[in-house]
Amino acid sequence: MTSASHPNATPPLSAALRGFEAQWLSRAADPLAGLREKAMTRILKLGLPTPRDETWRYTNLRHLASHGFVDAPRSAHSEGETTASLSLLSADARAATVLMVNGHPRLPTDMDAWFNGIEIRSLRDLSRLDPALIAAHLEPLSDADQARWGLINTALFIDGLYLRITAKVTTPLVILHLLTSDGTDNIAFPRVIIDAAPGSRATIVEHYVEQGANPPLCNSATHIAAGRESQIEHYRVFATSAGAEHIDSLNIRQDRNSHCKQFTIALGGGLVRSTLEADLQQPGASLDSYSLLVGHESRHVDCVNVVTHNAQHTASKQTARAIASGTSRVVFNSKVVVSVGAAHAESQQSCRGLLLSSSAEIDTRPQLEIHADEVKCAHGATIGRLDPDMLFYMLSRGLDRDTAQSLLVYAFLADVLTDMSVPSARSAIEDALIAQLPDSQLLHKFR
Amino acid sequence: MLLKISDLQVRVAGKDILRGVGLEVKPGEVHAIMGPNGSGKSTLAQVLAGREDYEVTGGSVTFDGRDLLALAAEERARAGLFLGFQYPVEIPGVNNVYLLKAALNAKRRAAGQPEVDAYEFLALIKQKMKLMQMSESFLSRGVNEGFSGGEKKRNEVLQMLVLEPKLAILDETDSGLDIDALKVVSMGVNSLRDPNRSVVLVTHYQRLLDYIVPDHVHVLLGGRILKSGDRSLALELERRGYDWVLGAEAA
Repeated sequence: MTSASHPNATPPLSAALRGFEAQWLSRAADPLAGLREKAMTRILKLGLPTPRDETWRYTNLRHLASHGFVDAPRSAHSEGETTASLSLLSADARAATVLMVNGHPRLPTDMDAWFNGIEIRSLRDLSRLDPALIAAHLEPLSDADQARWGLINTALFIDGLYLRITAKVTTPLVILHLLTSDGTDNIAFPRVIIDAAPGSRATIVEHYVEQGANPPLCNSATHIAAGRESQIEHYRVFATSAGAEHIDSLNIRQDRNSHCKQFTIALGGGLVRSTLEADLQQPGASLDSYSLLVGHESRHVDCVNVVTHNAQHTASKQTARAIASGTSRVVFNSKVVVSVGAAHAESQQSCRGLLLSSSAEIDTRPQLEIHADEVKCAHGATIGRLDPDMLFYMLSRGLDRDTAQSLLVYAFLADVLTDMSVPSARSAIEDALIAQLPDSQLLHKFR
Repeated sequence: MLLKISDLQVRVAGKDILRGVGLEVKPGEVHAIMGPNGSGKSTLAQVLAGREDYEVTGGSVTFDGRDLLALAAEERARAGLFLGFQYPVEIPGVNNVYLLKAALNAKRRAAGQPEVDAYEFLALIKQKMKLMQMSESFLSRGVNEGFSGGEKKRNEVLQMLVLEPKLAILDETDSGLDIDALKVVSMGVNSLRDPNRSVVLVTHYQRLLDYIVPDHVHVLLGGRILKSGDRSLALELERRGYDWVLGAEAA
């Protein structure tokens, strides 16, 4: 990449950056103030990312720069009913749901008795009691362009959730992120920390839903620290509505022999930009990452994964399935870095794209950066249209063209769905996916 | 007349493959079309089923009184035409049973009949699977996914038995089958024979015709039917080879 900017020049502040600075100045001091100031200073110096930055080549957020954002409200109308009706796993009687409104958690008062094996705290409360604990779980400040919006979240998040997983928990926990606004140019900074103790196990589903017209810009961040021998299955489901915009940063840090399964599901909202940065820090750590990216109508989905193998005998597998119809655009960029000394690392990257219209676009770029010997790294990317032989076979059996196409699209996604370990999550996500496909009514019949 | 093909000419990727095929099939008849590789047999089967990338440059086809070439592939299927594929495609992720149930219900809707429910359908398909000696694991698998060559061909015949077409065109359904599988497949086809149903077998070899006895045998060579006869023509072909037909034509 070439860049015209000089390393020491500070770019002129956009209205958005001036707004973020004003929000930061107006925040009451909290025990994390030192860290927040560093994050703010850094973003003011670096500026918002532009298509000249490598991981932002396909997503231009220039239109946001002219807005001065204000905090979204701390509560929404009829929150109780909302939780019941929107919870992704409402069909699963065992699952529990925690509501977050624009990043502000709603915690039951008898929290300790409420959910066995997961300690749940508000970040705001915890930052007063144990600021060092939170600081340890904020991602390291970075100049990398994919981390810019994460810096803004670090500087400005007001509250959030801290989950400490202390046992082998079989019941899935849903975090329902409700995004709602009381005016224009609202912004929300949801922040979640998942801290898995050694040997623990849990399934956490983060589900983002916009409510009402004019939803806030969502700049969310989640950090997962997977302790030794822990097993975490994490879902982030973006059900972003048309016109809404969401920028999400997920950081995963994995200790020895930990295993993470991560599903990123973008149901083709107005604009979704999701980042996954994973750091396999200790030997035996393994990550399976799955991305289901559905673009339809004029929507834009951009998914960036950066997986770094920092220890020997670490493994990562990335599986992405992208579908684009209408005039949508879906981007999947993944990069695997094998650091010096991370011998015997194994990585796989597989991206398959399915184009359903001639005006849709899918861009994918698997990258490898290897600084160690004796590693096994494979990558592959294919983008194509529906297989005409499969289509003809189904038509020759009398199926409607629309049904046949829908079934083929569904089949294309199926190998990611089958790897979901929680049946209720799988079935809910399947429902949500099918609803976004052409002829969803027909498909429901065949499930 | 159930099927009437007149002077059918078809071009595939700029090449004339069928150069004036004529064929008449009455209800209840079994016809065998034989010919060497590249003679146009599979093209004929696929074009009758409605494959779009094959360009019909001349001639006509009527099926059950309708202009077949004016119908889309799915309409032909619902009107009672079935193609058993030479190379059935694997469709991972689409369940066998979903496909077959969708196919049957599409046909029933087109005929103004009520759809079958899941229970009725399962009973029906289990009965037919027994006839085709297929294992129940088939029910939970993707369409042809991981099937052996023989299993794929059995699955084609199974689909035919469930859909009960007026006309079944079986494109080299015998190829790649061992003798036991050939007997099972033949029994499946024979079980469907009745005075209102017709079968067109496309095959290289006479062997299949020992089990499914045809009323008429045709030799397709160079995109035309050069010779027609009864069952004895197949035996003669086996003895004398296709060059014999070419020689007779030249003479």
